[in-house]
Amino acid sequence: MKMVKVKGRFRGGESPRIRELAFILNRIRRSPLSIAGIIIVLFFTFIAIFAPVLAHPQPNRDPYMMPRYGFSPIPRPPGPDFLFGTTEGQYDLYYGIIWGARTAYRIGVLVVAVSMIMGIVIGSIAGYYKGVIDEVLMRITDIILAFPALILAMAFVVAFGRGLDSITFALILVWWPSYARLVRGEVLKITAEDFVEAAKAIGCSDFRIMVRHVLPNTIFPLIVMASLDIGSVVLTAAALSFLGLGAPTGYADWGQIISLSRNWITGAPGNPFAYWHTYIIPGVFLFLFVMGWNLLGDALRDVFDPMIRRR
Amino acid sequence: MQPPVLAEKEQLKVQDLMVRFYTYEGIVKAVEKAKLKLRLGETLGIVGETGSGKSVTALTIMALTPTPGKVEGGNIYFRLTSGEIVDVLKLRGVELLKIRGKEISMIFQEPNAALDPLYTVGDQIAEAILTHRLPEMLERVNQLKKKEADSFLMRLPIFRGIFEKRLLNQVVREEIVQLLRLMEIPDPERVLDSYPHELSGGMQQRIVIAIALACSPALLLADEPTTNLDVTVQAQILDLIMRLKQRFGMSIIYITHDMGVIAEICDRVAVMYAGNVVEVAPVKEIFKNPLHPYTKALLESIPKPGSAFKSIPGTVPNLVNPPSGCRFHPRCAYAMKKCSVEVPQLKEVSKEHNVACFLHGDA
Repeated sequence: MKMVKVKGRFRGGESPRIRELAFILNRIRRSPLSIAGIIIVLFFTFIAIFAPVLAHPQPNRDPYMMPRYGFSPIPRPPGPDFLFGTTEGQYDLYYGIIWGARTAYRIGVLVVAVSMIMGIVIGSIAGYYKGVIDEVLMRITDIILAFPALILAMAFVVAFGRGLDSITFALILVWWPSYARLVRGEVLKITAEDFVEAAKAIGCSDFRIMVRHVLPNTIFPLIVMASLDIGSVVLTAAALSFLGLGAPTGYADWGQIISLSRNWITGAPGNPFAYWHTYIIPGVFLFLFVMGWNLLGDALRDVFDPMIRRR
Repeated sequence: MQPPVLAEKEQLKVQDLMVRFYTYEGIVKAVEKAKLKLRLGETLGIVGETGSGKSVTALTIMALTPTPGKVEGGNIYFRLTSGEIVDVLKLRGVELLKIRGKEISMIFQEPNAALDPLYTVGDQIAEAILTHRLPEMLERVNQLKKKEADSFLMRLPIFRGIFEKRLLNQVVREEIVQLLRLMEIPDPERVLDSYPHELSGGMQQRIVIAIALACSPALLLADEPTTNLDVTVQAQILDLIMRLKQRFGMSIIYITHDMGVIAEICDRVAVMYAGNVVEVAPVKEIFKNPLHPYTKALLESIPKPGSAFKSIPGTVPNLVNPPSGCRFHPRCAYAMKKCSVEVPQLKEVSKEHNVACFLHGDA
């Protein structure tokens, strides 16, 4: 009964695209976790977009560098002057967290988008031409997948030189093989479907079949994987930053901020949580960011799966 | 001057077609020296068990031999609507794309799988129309455009572009609605905007047929189009195909293993066994006077009420290593010594009746 009501509300035009959208929205509305995921992701998107409003950058300075207020190493607790307190070296935590969202998006979206494009191109070439080309491309992906991702990324970063750009580049190099694998498998599956044969039988060119019939049918699992991956990419990048391979000290990057609190995790004598804000606050933001994307990915999977099943 | 490869009234001629599949287990000799002939406007049935090479033959007529299959020999002569005769197997690239869907179309066994789940059926029919009949559609757009007054907006290129696009959509849509009416689909305006999963199997098959007939092909290949449908729906679809055949004046190759369907719609029948065409005859002749032992066995194995069920002893041979001589001889009740040594050739034993068996004819 409830479903009927919801359907009625979205019914709108008779256009099939609108009906499909209504179906998707209806599914999302029924899952509280999906809504939580969407809200968290929207929250971080908001922070990232409005960072200059939420935390004013100082004029004539790189806005991604956190402002510091003094040189004392001892962190100051949260208070009216500093909403989240300061961390080692008197860097403003609030500023760092806000602008860190931008850094997270930059790394996450860039790495996932580029890996996805590389994966689509390489995977569809391998899946479509099969044979030797497939074999060569897949063995290359195997070589990369054979190493633990974090270790390989570290090796790349060390080779390229420390910095956020080399982290991004290293993560792309480590990340694309899983997309290539996924796309190849899907392309192999879809090209065996009758409707591809049918498209050939009405005289469609190979390129048209690929772009119009094969790739759109592979895109759903790809989107799910991409949204799940944005979280993991940011987490891995934070790990690299924490290990000191990432952004320079003072850069608004969550991993880097957490690494600044390395000396303060044990707290003061008699008070182990004296400097909790230096690692809990950036940690919670990082955690929420990753969780938000994971929930969104799950939500998308819930939406797309029945569509795939009802083929 | 050489005699023409196709006689006056012939649509298609398959000569000594050989298709082999190169697999890990070995070379599968899927189609071996198959011969077929199809006259203009004729319905030819191809019957045979699973794995007898019927579908491979049909796909090869469109040069769509499934991988890892390779055509190893033979010719497929086809008469285009323009009257020109081509060998499909010698065509390459764009020439082939022009024939597929326009001259030769195909309908499939599973309508559900033959439609892309992501697009509305209207989009999919439009794809077929726009692939081959774009100039015709643009011509209609131009005629419509002339009727529109030369208003101010039309002088702006952007508006003209949008306007033309909309007109094209409208023209194609009208064409599709007409096509769907021909398919006897009720409420075509609504069906047009449905996704394949929203339609029943019979409806889906009508859509598949509509896609195949969108460009009025000369030859329709029907690969067991009714096997997966209810008996009542099957009757409707067969009826529809026969009516459309009259209307479009096309030839049909109908692949099935259902002798009942054959009796219903075909003019002539070709019986295939293990990649060979073993008997070709007019449909009445096949039922009245089957000559090849396999055809006889096949007809006897049709379940009849009141009599015990008969099956053909043995199994379809493995085509990696087919039996020597006549491929049917291990299962044949009339096998002679000669059968395991020599391959019988298809020869005419009476008018229009060809059979590949040493029991018949003088060889």
